[in-house]
Amino acid sequence: MNTLIYTACLGLFCMLAEIFNLRKWIIPTVVLGLAVIFSLNLNDWNHPSSHYNDMLRVDNFSVAFSGLALLICTFLFMLSSDFYRSEENQKHISDYMAILVFVLCGALMMVSFGNLVMLFLGIETLSISLYVMAGSNRNDLRSNEAGFKYFLLGAFTSGFLLFGIALIYGASNSFNLQDIYTYVSSNGNNISPLFIVGMLLMIFAMLFKISAAPFHFWAPDVYEGSPALVTAFMSTLVKIAAFAAFYRLISNCFLFTLQKAELILTVSCIATLFIGNLTALVQDNFKRLLAFSGISHAGYMLLAIISLQSNTDSVLFYYATGYALSSIAAFAVVIAVIGITNSEKINSLNGLGKKNPILATLLTMAMLSLAGIPPFAGFFGKYFIFSEALRNGYSYLVLIAIINSIIGVYYYLKPVMAMYGGAANQDEIKLPISYSLVLWTCVILSLLLGIFPDLFVTLL
Amino acid sequence: MSQTIFYILASLSIISALFVVFSKIPIYSVLWLIVCFFTIAGHYVMLNAQFMAIVHIIVYAGAIMVLFLFTVMLLNLNKESEPHKRTYLKFAAILSAGVLFLTLLAAFKSTNLTPYQLPEVNEVGYIQNVGIKLFTDYLLPFEISSILFLSAMIGAVVLAKKEK
Repeated sequence: MNTLIYTACLGLFCMLAEIFNLRKWIIPTVVLGLAVIFSLNLNDWNHPSSHYNDMLRVDNFSVAFSGLALLICTFLFMLSSDFYRSEENQKHISDYMAILVFVLCGALMMVSFGNLVMLFLGIETLSISLYVMAGSNRNDLRSNEAGFKYFLLGAFTSGFLLFGIALIYGASNSFNLQDIYTYVSSNGNNISPLFIVGMLLMIFAMLFKISAAPFHFWAPDVYEGSPALVTAFMSTLVKIAAFAAFYRLISNCFLFTLQKAELILTVSCIATLFIGNLTALVQDNFKRLLAFSGISHAGYMLLAIISLQSNTDSVLFYYATGYALSSIAAFAVVIAVIGITNSEKINSLNGLGKKNPILATLLTMAMLSLAGIPPFAGFFGKYFIFSEALRNGYSYLVLIAIINSIIGVYYYLKPVMAMYGGAANQDEIKLPISYSLVLWTCVILSLLLGIFPDLFVTLL
Repeated sequence: MSQTIFYILASLSIISALFVVFSKIPIYSVLWLIVCFFTIAGHYVMLNAQFMAIVHIIVYAGAIMVLFLFTVMLLNLNKESEPHKRTYLKFAAILSAGVLFLTLLAAFKSTNLTPYQLPEVNEVGYIQNVGIKLFTDYLLPFEISSILFLSAMIGAVVLAKKEK
């Protein structure tokens, strides 16, 4: 609860800083503030509580995912000072930062909601802020397209979400997670068909938010068109917040009715894996590649939701952390390279291995972690999810997922091949200190997670 | 008596909604939408939710409709400039909407709907009751939604401010 209030105050500070001519202090304050909020957030660990008539429920799950969201944002805001250094962007810096902090507020609501009203508000706060940020590069036609496309499709999906919530309210007479859970568990086989339809509509809306097939069509275009930093927000913070909300919704409300939706989730999971991985094979734009990689990772995380058991939440958390750390590292390199070469193509990385050996090594490690190669966190994340699914009897799904991770290795190594082969086509990139700090921290954390997975898996 | 009014209102809202979709000229669509909103407000009155009915008319039929009309006029939408949609897209849209309709119909048909007991007017309808609910049970969503509006407002400024 306090986490949310402090974050909202930070957003207000960003908005008002321009009036008091504090523009230069915005980013340092936000980074420092988020770090402080991160440590304050840890105080709630093992102190479950519910606030304001059970609107927000703080438990270990929400504390863990709030902490992850705050960590991701701290890293991304560290990248933002250099990303928005141009004079044009400096004029808007206070607006941009305020909106991005409000995105974080939405994410915090989504991971700790105790009432469907708060879920809806969280999703809307997150999405509406992102529609604006996706289109924030006003002189770029692709950015306009991205913002508009995301807005139209997102608004349409919000309709589905609301309709689903309304039907569930009609059946169970409550918006509260606990009450809905009681309704489902006490009615057994007598659950109203309206409840099932409401559940399906809500699942569709959530599948859109995590960009799972067949609701993934917006993701590549929006990721490619948006400014690179906003893309990094979408593929890490938003995806993880949406997954946490989806998981919370299912494990708190729909656990007993899940088998009615299992076929839909299974088909969606298989389609997401194949579409994400096969389409990524033919991409030559790095941002688009990362978008499809994000889609395929959504498929692996869906596998965790399908085989949901009591300790799946820590597996999902571990996977999400590993994915976020390696994605941020990849995006830090992408943003730096785009800044120098003005090109998002994979072949703009040519020769990076000779000119910037350290940068190339770090990107290679991030890519290996995304591909799921030991000893990085990506490997153990996949391993835990697969073994969890195997234990619950989904061997055919695991087989499909393993085939897809093999396909994945090919396209994750494409940027690596480009870096170590081909003639150099850029000068040496001098990384700002904040970038190297973020890169090193992410890669080292990812390695540590991979070496000591036990620390995390028994956490939740 | 109230059942007759319900059926009249319901058929009116369905017919006007169909006109919204099928009108060729965007302005007519918008005008039919106003009719649709008024009939829905009528439903709210019949459910003893007078405050909701008034707010619905003020916000939707008033503010949002004016915005729609402005947009339609500014964009100068007319029939010729409307892009032609491909046949298979139309087919897919009709198919998926039809499937959703069937699912909903089947769900409603197999539900045992108990007759709705109309609550006393002093239990739901008045502003006082809405306000009490809003400031006790739903205090947090009420306050938090200000972040949503703030973010949307800053967003509108970011997207629409003139470059100097």
